[in-house]
This record gives sequence, C-alpha cells and structure tokens, in this order.
Amino acid sequence: MIEDDPGPLIRLYGLTGGRARPQGEAFDLVAIVVTVHLPQEPSVLNPEHHHILHICRKPTPVADVAAGLGLPLNVTRVLLGDLRREGYVSITPPKPANQSIDERTYRDVLHGIRRL
Amino acid sequence: MEFAGFDRPRPSGGTLTATALKILVAGGFGVGKTTMVGTISEIRPLHTEELLSDRGVDVDDLSGIERKVATTVALDFGRITIRQDLWLYLFGTPGQDRFWFMWDELALGALGAVVLADTRRLADCFPAVDYFEQLKLPFVVAVNCFDGARRHDPGKVRRAVGLDEVTPVIMCDARNRSSVKDVLTTLVTHAMEVR
Repeated sequence: MIEDDPGPLIRLYGLTGGRARPQGEAFDLVAIVVTVHLPQEPSVLNPEHHHILHICRKPTPVADVAAGLGLPLNVTRVLLGDLRREGYVSITPPKPANQSIDERTYRDVLHGIRRL
Repeated sequence: MEFAGFDRPRPSGGTLTATALKILVAGGFGVGKTTMVGTISEIRPLHTEELLSDRGVDVDDLSGIERKVATTVALDFGRITIRQDLWLYLFGTPGQDRFWFMWDELALGALGAVVLADTRRLADCFPAVDYFEQLKLPFVVAVNCFDGARRHDPGKVRRAVGLDEVTPVIMCDARNRSSVKDVLTTLVTHAMEVR
C-alpha cells in the first residue's frame, strides 16, 4: 500500500526530532524489547516513550511495539533507540536461525501449528 | 518505581529467553499473502508502515523531505504463540520489487518462507523463488487455488518454476485454516530436514 501524502509522516517525525535512524546498533523486527528501568522523572520522556515502557513490561518484539503504538517502524525504532540509550529498555537481537532453532524448537513449532 | 507484573531479566545468565521466529509469506501482488497471514494468525493481522523516500530506499535524513515524495510501505504480520516464551511471526513481504531491501531484513534469521503462487500468473512468484534459493532459506511453494483457478498438478508447477526435487510444492486455499496449517507444517518439516 502506498500513499503519496507525506504530511502525517512529517508530523510523526516531530516525535523524533526529525531523526529517521535510531542511535546505536540496529535492531531486528523481532528483536525482543523489555522495560528494565522506569524513569524517576516522568517529564523527560514524551507520551510515546511512556507507552513503549508500558507495552514492554512484558518482553515484546519490535514489530508488536510498532503495531501497538500505531506508528511506523522507523519512528518506533528511533524512540526505542532513545529508551535504550537512557537504559530504560533492553533490546535483545534474535539469534541466527541455526543457533536459535534447535530440534526441540522445531518440534514445538510443529505441535503449536497443529493444535491451532 | 515498581509495578506489578514486571518481568525482569532472569538473574541466571542475565538474558531473556523469549524468542520470536519469523516465517515470510512472499509472492506476487494480489496472490493472497495477507489473506494467508490473517487466516492463521491468532490476532487480527497487525499493520505497520515503513517510511521510504522517493527512491524506494530508507530515509536517513529528513531535511528537505517536504520537497520529495515520501511513500510508506505497509507491512502486515500475524502471530502464533507456540509457548509462553516462543512466538511465530508471519510477515507478508512487500509485493513490489523496489522494496527488496526490506526482504533482507525480514529474511535474516527466518525459519523459512512460503512462496504463494497463482497458476494464472505463475511468473509472478519467480523473483521470490530466486531470492530464497540464493539465500539458501528453506521455502515451500504453495499454489493458492482460487475459485476458477486451474488445478495444476504439483509436478507441472515444479517444472514450470524450475524447482529442485526437495523443495515441497503443495496446493492450498489461503482462506482455509486447515489448509494454511498444512502449508506451515510442510514448511517447518522441510526446514528441519534441510537445515
């Protein structure tokens, strides 16, 4: 789906101070985000930052964070980068498939699909 | 500040064990990718967007963007919870060739891919087949049998697409849950065998 009107997106980037890239190491769509620390002074963060911290009380993949916020991935990533830099969230990248998917995981996945 | 239900990283080892696995659903425009994701997902398919510049590449610098044509590419994805700490995500890949760069990220670390094909426009699935072959990512070709679509036998599709002998080819109905389950179990079984 393509929309030619960039207006709302430009406004969205107001949330990030015009930044399109998160600071620090890149992270995957299914990297796991978890809130590890809450700010003592809530005013330093914007409402979207707080929303992320709320969502990520439970470990949550980046894609779900973006969908939960209703924001584009780029914007979500910039906000996540801010929170990581400040030490409020940890972001764990997925392991390569040949490391993360062992025999048991394959069997669990098969079982999980079959019981749907 | 403390609050209830807070899942802290486990002290032992210090890392979380939560894992999200990816399966890609690829194929030509309008072949039923989003339908397939929606049929099997435990949640209504989530939708997010990626901002692109007019060149179809990621935007690094937004200064002067008002003079460019910014576009968004939609990314639809569904989720299946396997265990409390293990999720399977299905990502419908962007259909247009100019969004190939997004595939690289989607494919990184993926368990495998489903290439959805429509026998009326079989050539539409060739780019996806080429891509996953080059990447050596396990995939299956699932022929979406639309109403009125000619029912090819898998052997003919295999020859027409130029597949090797091990890549599974199966007929499916992307709207039918048990059919989509068959596609996914075929893919996971295949991925186990070839990894």
